[in-house]
Parts: sequence; C-alpha cells; structure tokens
Amino acid sequence: MTSTTLAVTDPRRERLAALGRRAGIRLAGGVLVLWAVATLTFFALRLMPGDPVLAILGGTTGNPSPEAIEAARQEFGLDKPLAVQYVLYLGRLLQGDLGMSYSQHLPVTRVLAEQGGATFELTVAALVLAWLLVLLLTVVTAGRGRLIGGVASLLETVSASLPHFWLGVVLLAVFAFGLRWFPPAGSDSLASLVLPAFSLAIPLAGFIAQVTRESLELTLEQPFVLTARTRGLSDLAVRFKHALRHALLPGVALSGWAIGALISGAVVCEVIFSRKGIGRQLYQAVQLQDLPLVIGISLVVAAGYVLANILVDLLYQWIDPRQQEAAA
Amino acid sequence: MNRPILPLIPLCAVLALVGCERAEQHTAQSTQPIHGGTLVYATDREPTCLDPHVAGDMPQVFVAQQYLDSLVSMDSHGQIGPWLASRWEVSADGLRYTFHLRRDVHFTDGTPFNAEAVKANLDHMANPKTQSSTAGGYIRQYRSTKVLDDYTAEVTLATPYAAFLEVLAQGFLGIQSPTALARSRDENCESPVGSGPFKVVRWDRQNQVELVRNPDYNWAPPTAQHQGPAYLARIVWKFIQEPSVRFASLQAGEVDVIEALPPESHEAARRNPDVDLIIAQRPGNPTNGTFNLRRAPFDDIRVREALVRSADVEGALKSVYFGEFPRSGGPLSVATPFYSGDFERSQDYDPARAAKLLDEAGWTSRDSEGYRTKGGQRLRAVVLIGARTPPSELTLWEQVQATTRQVGIELVLDQMSDAQVTSRQAAWDYDIRIGYWNTNTPDVLRIIFTSAFVQPAGVGGYHQNSSGYADTGFDALLDSALATQDAELRRQRYHLAQQQAAAQYLQLTTYPQSTRLGIYKTAHGVRLEPSLAVTYLYDAWVNK
Amino acid sequence: MTDLTLGRALTPVRRQRHLSLPPLGASLSILFLLALVLAAVLPGLFTRIDPLAIVPREAFQPPSWAHWLGTDQSGRDIFARIIHGARQSLLIGVAATAISMAIAIALGLLGGLGGARVDRAVGWLLEVLFAFPSLVLALLFVAVFGSGVGPLIVATGLGGAPGYARMVRGQVLAVRNAGYIEAARALGHPTSRIVLRQLLPNAMRPLVVTLTMGVGQAIVWASALSFLGLGARPPAPEWGTMLSMGRDFIANAWWLTFFPGLFIVLTTLATTVTGRYIQQRLEGRLP
Repeated sequence: MTSTTLAVTDPRRERLAALGRRAGIRLAGGVLVLWAVATLTFFALRLMPGDPVLAILGGTTGNPSPEAIEAARQEFGLDKPLAVQYVLYLGRLLQGDLGMSYSQHLPVTRVLAEQGGATFELTVAALVLAWLLVLLLTVVTAGRGRLIGGVASLLETVSASLPHFWLGVVLLAVFAFGLRWFPPAGSDSLASLVLPAFSLAIPLAGFIAQVTRESLELTLEQPFVLTARTRGLSDLAVRFKHALRHALLPGVALSGWAIGALISGAVVCEVIFSRKGIGRQLYQAVQLQDLPLVIGISLVVAAGYVLANILVDLLYQWIDPRQQEAAA
Repeated sequence: MNRPILPLIPLCAVLALVGCERAEQHTAQSTQPIHGGTLVYATDREPTCLDPHVAGDMPQVFVAQQYLDSLVSMDSHGQIGPWLASRWEVSADGLRYTFHLRRDVHFTDGTPFNAEAVKANLDHMANPKTQSSTAGGYIRQYRSTKVLDDYTAEVTLATPYAAFLEVLAQGFLGIQSPTALARSRDENCESPVGSGPFKVVRWDRQNQVELVRNPDYNWAPPTAQHQGPAYLARIVWKFIQEPSVRFASLQAGEVDVIEALPPESHEAARRNPDVDLIIAQRPGNPTNGTFNLRRAPFDDIRVREALVRSADVEGALKSVYFGEFPRSGGPLSVATPFYSGDFERSQDYDPARAAKLLDEAGWTSRDSEGYRTKGGQRLRAVVLIGARTPPSELTLWEQVQATTRQVGIELVLDQMSDAQVTSRQAAWDYDIRIGYWNTNTPDVLRIIFTSAFVQPAGVGGYHQNSSGYADTGFDALLDSALATQDAELRRQRYHLAQQQAAAQYLQLTTYPQSTRLGIYKTAHGVRLEPSLAVTYLYDAWVNK
Repeated sequence: MTDLTLGRALTPVRRQRHLSLPPLGASLSILFLLALVLAAVLPGLFTRIDPLAIVPREAFQPPSWAHWLGTDQSGRDIFARIIHGARQSLLIGVAATAISMAIAIALGLLGGLGGARVDRAVGWLLEVLFAFPSLVLALLFVAVFGSGVGPLIVATGLGGAPGYARMVRGQVLAVRNAGYIEAARALGHPTSRIVLRQLLPNAMRPLVVTLTMGVGQAIVWASALSFLGLGARPPAPEWGTMLSMGRDFIANAWWLTFFPGLFIVLTTLATTVTGRYIQQRLEGRLP
C-alpha cells in the first residue's frame, strides 16, 4: 500500500482475478493428476493376467491361425518391451492420439465421441433432477415443525439408502415391464432417459437434501432472516431469495463429489437400461482387456471429474466470498 | 410349477425332434406382403466386425446373412443348390471345383460379380492379415483360384474336401465386392459391401446397425420364398443385451422381432396372442463340457463315463432353462446333416453305473468330505468358466456339480477372465472346457476330435481339439468321409464316427444350440435360412 | 477444546440413575444391526436350511411358509442365503472400512505431521485418487487382480480411502496444535506415544460416526461390484451377487432380486440412523 494514493479497486474485479488465479493453479494441478491417471491405468492393465492378443482375436470363440496371431501382435505393437510401449504411448497421448480400441477396431477418440454424449446426458439429467427434488422437498418443508420435518427427513434418509442398481431394477420392473409407461431400453428418446435419470437422482437427492435441510434450518434461524420477514417479505420469498443462497453452500460442495458418484452410477445404470455410454463401454473394455479404450475412458472421466470439481470449487467461491480469505 | 410327467419330457422332446424337420414354427401365414416399411430386430450380442470373414462368430453371421450372398445354397434336407454359382463340377480326385457363375449379379457399389470376385473373396478369407478364425479355418485346404473366364472359376484344394460345398453355403463365407475388400480391414468392418437383398448404411456402436433395401436384387437362392427385391425398405438391427429388457421390448411392440428369446420368457411368449415363436436347433456340435484326455482323471475312459453318468443334466435343464431346452446325448445335434439318433441315450443319468465304474477304476476310498480318493488323491475335475459365460450356463454346471458330488466326484468351477480361460486352454491346464460349434456339416467331428487339430493353432497355443483325443483310426475315418462325394458312403462313415465319439465319452453334452425368435404381430414372413438356422429377413414384411 | 474439557472438569457431574432409551428410529436400527451381527456369527439361529443346497425341483418357488422369501433358480432358499450372506456382507463392509481407515490414517498422519512439502505431496496423491470416481478405481483394481472376495474388499477399501484420508488429515491438522499435545511434548513423551495415545484418539473421535455410516456405504459399494460380476462370484450368497443373478427373472420371479436389495437398503438405513444417533449423543444434543 503506497502512502500517497489510496488505490480504489473494484471489489468485483478483484474477486474475478482471484478466481482466475485459483482456476489457473487448479488446472495445472489437474494436468499432473491426469498424467498420474494415465500412468496408473497403463501399468494396471499391463499387469492383468492373460494375453491381450488372444483377447483381440475373438477370445474363446475365435480360432486364430498362427499367422493371424503374429500379425495381430505386430499390428498392436505388443511385441516391444514394456517401457518402450509406455513411452510411445505417452508420446501419442500428448498428440491427442488415444490409440485404437482392441475390441472395436476404432480410434478411441471416436468411441468416446459417439458414446460420451449419452453418458453426459444422463449425468446432467440426473444432477438437475436431483437438485429439483432437493429444492422442492427442502424449501417447502424446512422449519415447518417437527412432524413434517420428521417425515421429510425420513424420506431423505430412506432415499439416500437406496442402492441405485437395485432402484434401477425395481423402477424398470414396475414402470417399464409392468405399467409400460416408459421404454425398457434405448438411448435415443427423452422417454428412455426418465427411468435411468430417476434411479440415479433419487439416492443423490436424498444425500444432498439431508445436508441442505440441516443447513437451511440453521439459516432460517439466523437474525438476517428475521429482519427480512419483518420487512414484510412473504415466507416463500424469504426462503428462496435470502436463506437459500446461504443454505446451498454445503450442497454445492457435495455436488463435486456427486458428479463422481453419478459417473460411477452411470456404469451400472447403462448396463441395466441397455443404454449407450462410456460407463458401459468401460465395464466391457475392462472385461475384454481393451487397454487403449480403458485408458481413454479413464482419462476422459478423470478429466471431466477434475474439471467439474474445479467448476464447483469456483462456484462455491463465487457464492460465498467469505471463503476466499480462508483459502490456500 | 406343474410338471406331472417330469421324466418323459426329455424323451418326448428328443423323439419329437429326431427324424423331423428342424424348425418348429407356428406363424400363421397371412395375406399379401406389403412393400416398404421398417422392421426393428433386437439381438443380444453385438458383432465385433460386420465383415464375417474377419474372426467369425454367430452375431456376425446373423447380420451378414442380410447383405451377403453365398456361392451355393443349402436346403433343409442338406442338399446343395445353386445361388451365385449356377452349376459346378468336381474333379474325380476331389481337388478341383469348377464353378459356373451367374452373369446378372452385381454388388451394391456397382462392381460386377464374376470369377475375379470369387478369387478375391477366397483369397481374402485365407489371408492371415484378415485374421479369419472361422472362414479361414474352414478352408484350410484351399490353395488357389484360377480365373478360366469371366464367369468360370476353378478352385484348387490341397486334399479332397467333401464338405467344401457345405461350408461355402454358410454366411461366414459370403461373397463381398472385391473393390470393398481392397480397402483396409477396419474400413471393411465398418461397412462391408455385398450383393445381398439389403445393404449396410450405418453402424451406430452399442446401439444398432441400419440396413436398407437393395433395389436391384434379383438373384435370390432357391431356398427363398420369392424373387426380386426384398419387401422391407429398411431394417434396424438393435443390440439389447439384457434378456428381460429385450423380451419386454417385444411385448410392448417396441421391436418387431427378437432373437435369443430367453427361456424364462418362452411360456409368456406362447401365452401372448400378439407374439409368435420360431425355435430351431442349430447344426453342429451341441453345447458341452469337453474332457481333457491328456491328464488325470480323464485319461481313464471309465472315469469319463462315470462323470457323464453321475451328472443329472436333464434335471438341471428343466430348472435352469424352464424345460425349454432338450437334452443332447450325442456328439452331433439333430439338425446336422448325416446326424444319427442312435446315440441320444448314451449319456443318460445313471448314478449306479457311475459308482460301479469308479469302483472298477480304483477310486474306492473316500475322504472326510465324501469325495472319492485313490492313492491319496481326490477325484477332482476343474471346469473353466470365463467372464462372458452366461449366468444360466454357470447355474447349469452348479447343478451338475451338486449331482456329481453325490457319486463322490468333485467338480471345481474355476471362474476367471476370458483371456485367462484362453491361456489355460492353450496350456492344457483344465479338465473340462465348455464349448459348442455351430456348423452345417458333420465334418465338425474332424475339427474337434482329430489329431490334426491338437497342435496349437498359433503362437497363442489355442487348439480346436480341446479333448486331446488323437486316434489314428478316427482320423482316417473322418478323412475318408471327406474323400468321397457319395452321400450314402458319407452317411455310413459319419455314423461310425458318431458311434466312436459317443463310445469314447469325449464330452458331456448338455443342450443343442438353437435359434429362438420372438415375432410380434406386426412382422410376417420372418424365416430361418436352412443351413445354419440363421435369421433371414429377405422374405419378411411388416404391417404397421 | 481445552477450555471445554476444563469446564467440564470443574462443573459437578450429575449421574443419571437410568439410561434413557434412544428414539424409535434409532432403537429399531440398533436392533436390526445387532440382529445382523448375530446372523453373521450364528446363522443357525435364524435358519436351518443350507444356503448352498441345490434342489432343482423347487426352483422359483414364491414366498411361502416353507420358504419365507421364496427360492432361486436352483431351488436354494433365499432367506437362508440372505442370512448367510449377512456374514459375507458384514465381513466385507467392516474389512473394507478397516482398510480404508488404515490407508487414511497412514496418509493423514503423513500429511498432517510431515511438514509442508510432504503434506503437499500427500494432498496431490489424494487428488489423483480422487480423480477416479470410486467405481472406476475399483473396476481397474479388480481388472488387475481378478474378481473374488479378497480383491473386492481391497477395491472397496481403496475406493473409500481418499475420502477418509482427507478427513483424517484435516483432523490431525486441527488437533496437533492443541494444548494437551504441547503439554505432553513439554513433558518429554516420545513422539510415537503422543501420536498413539493422544493425537490419534482425539483426531478420530469425530470420525466414529463417519465410520459407522461408512460400513453401510462399503456394503453398498461391494454389492455394486458384485452386481457387475466383479466381486463375489456365484454361488456365494453375497447380496449383490444374488441381486444380479435374479435380474433376468424379474418378470417371472421378482423375489430373487427384491429381497436381497431390501436387506441392503435396510442395512444402509440402519447404519445411517445409528451413526446419526451416536453423533447426536456425542455432541450432547440428546440426553
């Protein structure tokens, strides 16, 4: 601070600059994380028992000839020493070449492009749906007395305890097989998104709702809320405009973790509902020992998750500027 | 579950199938076919490549049957008829086949079909770069093709191969455009080009393959029910892995035809007036557990027979497959040409006989858990179970395990990844290997039981003969069956072969492979092509 | 924290003559968990039927007096399998949580006590582990080491470790500068003793609740892996495996899938409610 002038800084610009700095640091860290992820998965899959060449050539139902096996081995570079393969692999990664999938004989980037959309759709739909359920339930029922609060709390706890794979199967049986309200399979229509999104959203909503309800009830007891009420604001306005912003913070913090949970859940839901997606692809790729595809999907998932966490972190900062000073 | 005549059901099923037509079909033949429309077909497994020359498994041949034609056709009685080749001659020594081809055929990319195309296709299948497991394996005897003139091709083999025309009728050896074959293998896997009634438009991975009608099609085989272009304008070939979801889609009318109708849904399908069934056994070697004769305990034929006799497969099939799958007792399934029904009862459940055989073989003492021992060693057999083994298969073997235990044999169901199964198989480190072989020729016995196929097929060590059975007499018998074109002689020789294979107890055969279609009321004319019981949509039409 | 402890020492303690009962939900949950533990230790108390006994004739029986929850595709009694599966599930849940905690304590202590550089490295390692959604990490692990109960336990433990590690690290950082630690150091106690006797117990106390709920979560994770066929393989009576095997038959025999899942839900619910109750008692919000 110079002695001559009092620098008038725009607090908002300061905040954005600080956010930008933080984002930069996080992104750099993210790249390191991705490198570690690539290395981990590469060596993990090379350690897997069984010869990948035979996996490529059709597994137990194929009857490859000796020439075919040799040709495949050379084509996929499996005859070189491990360290060389790793270096070559890293080099290609840096150029954006994720290699060829062993099981599908397609570039991994193409598989990701074709399948990623469906998983992204499902994850976003589930997150949005979960938040809708959370807002609906907590805002309407928080602080209204023990009975309603108790019932809502019970509902949330039960929802959070539902394993998504079981919920998915039950929803499928009741609404798709039984009542026939929704199609049992498919990735194309909006109708086919409903049941998978719900089976992921309901347990997640249970989790987030518990945290948000606690936070909302605490916030509603704060003095500033009383002030708002005395100013004549309606109850709902108070809840939405004032209390919610503060109460959302723990929920937003959870959302970062939630995306990871949703991606994990997507693996199972895509299998149950026969949907396209990288979750199901990853599961199949692991079974087929398709190394490039597993690494490619893991990298994309890790990248997406790191990015999502950075965004959530920044969002958290933005909503609550108090955190900035306490930060790194 | 009402099963008043339990023991008679397998017997009835077997008797009903023996000596009969292979297909059991109760679709009402309806009115005039409608031109146009889209048929939605759902199957369980997605192929790895749309070109059936590459690798070669059942999902591939099912979809390829719609866009590829073969050189010859095979009817339901096993007779070879013309298709892309109108007639042919076989030289006296059985080494040269001269095909006279149709002149009016062209592929959907405009390339004309001629002798050059035949040469290109056969060379493609035999080329190791194609990595053709099935087609390449079937034409091991192939040496070369000579183009005599535009429409005459002379194929030369290394040894006589009476089954050559039979394998040529299979969709695995379908004829593709040589222009398309000249592209890279991966490109051709994406969008192969044939001369068939449909052509591939797009392959949307994990989801579906889209096919449209070939408007120029005019060379259907005599086994088809009409000539000219197909009725359907479009086919959507979907992949729905979950059996319950697949069946629910059919019941809701979301798909018109499903394949691999789950056995637990057969009853519901029958009761549903909107749904019809087509169930047909596939020819070849039925689903089985093959014994490894190269090591104890299955180097002793008495122990092999004892295991077979102590396994209550019929009981297991009734519960696991809801009684929908019959028992296969012999080494060939009913639908195979030159099949003989004399060996269906050779594997009947007989625990008393099993106990007697084991006593004779010296496994007389028992250990603390009730398993038999000899010289301190427990009577134990390891079964390899891969990750992609369907749960129902595993349940079947669990039940077999429970019944063999009563006689004192320990079955260990070793679960591992598919790659590990392959490597253990290559190392002969197993006692029982689960497998099957779908093919339209009894020559399959040569592939799975003769010494020529005991040797590793390649660097990986995989061997088609999983039993290790190497008997020179058997080898000679099967080679002689290939050396003659005379049907009666072949019948006799294959009868002897089946007899010997059954008597040696080389496998525990469980149930025949089958094609099971569920057809919604909107779809008509859906059939199975006769040689391999593969879905054939050329004569199909929809009414929506 | 030091002031509170001093304060409590100074005020007279009123001993209660009797223990007040926990509220209804917590009581039921604790009872359920106790019953589960009992079932794990002495399954014979709940059922006489052999969970592995294959009786093909009785396949797919709906719930009845003979078979309370019905039978599966091989005629095995589902209730018996669930009871015996309790042992598997609890074993997996507790063992996995133990592994998570072991890793978490190691990393947390390292980070909390090792100085700034080490802390950053540990933090970075945790970020890497965190970059994998737990199921992906577990999938990779099972892929390398094969499926089965052993790898399942380790995979689930690995999946939960980062979360606990962060908490432990935070707690260690918070506690290490506390008064009683300083006092102990001034008294000349060896570091290891301080860590074991003072630091860890105080750091871990708030995590007891998380652990209780964590066991429930671990059971769900393990079931999810078994559901995908990557954990306990059939015919093991593990709840996730049973759920998966019954999935194909949901139209004919819904009880194969429904009941194992129901038990997973009830267990998770019970651990959550119990955990919350313990937390509320510890915080003094309940008598």
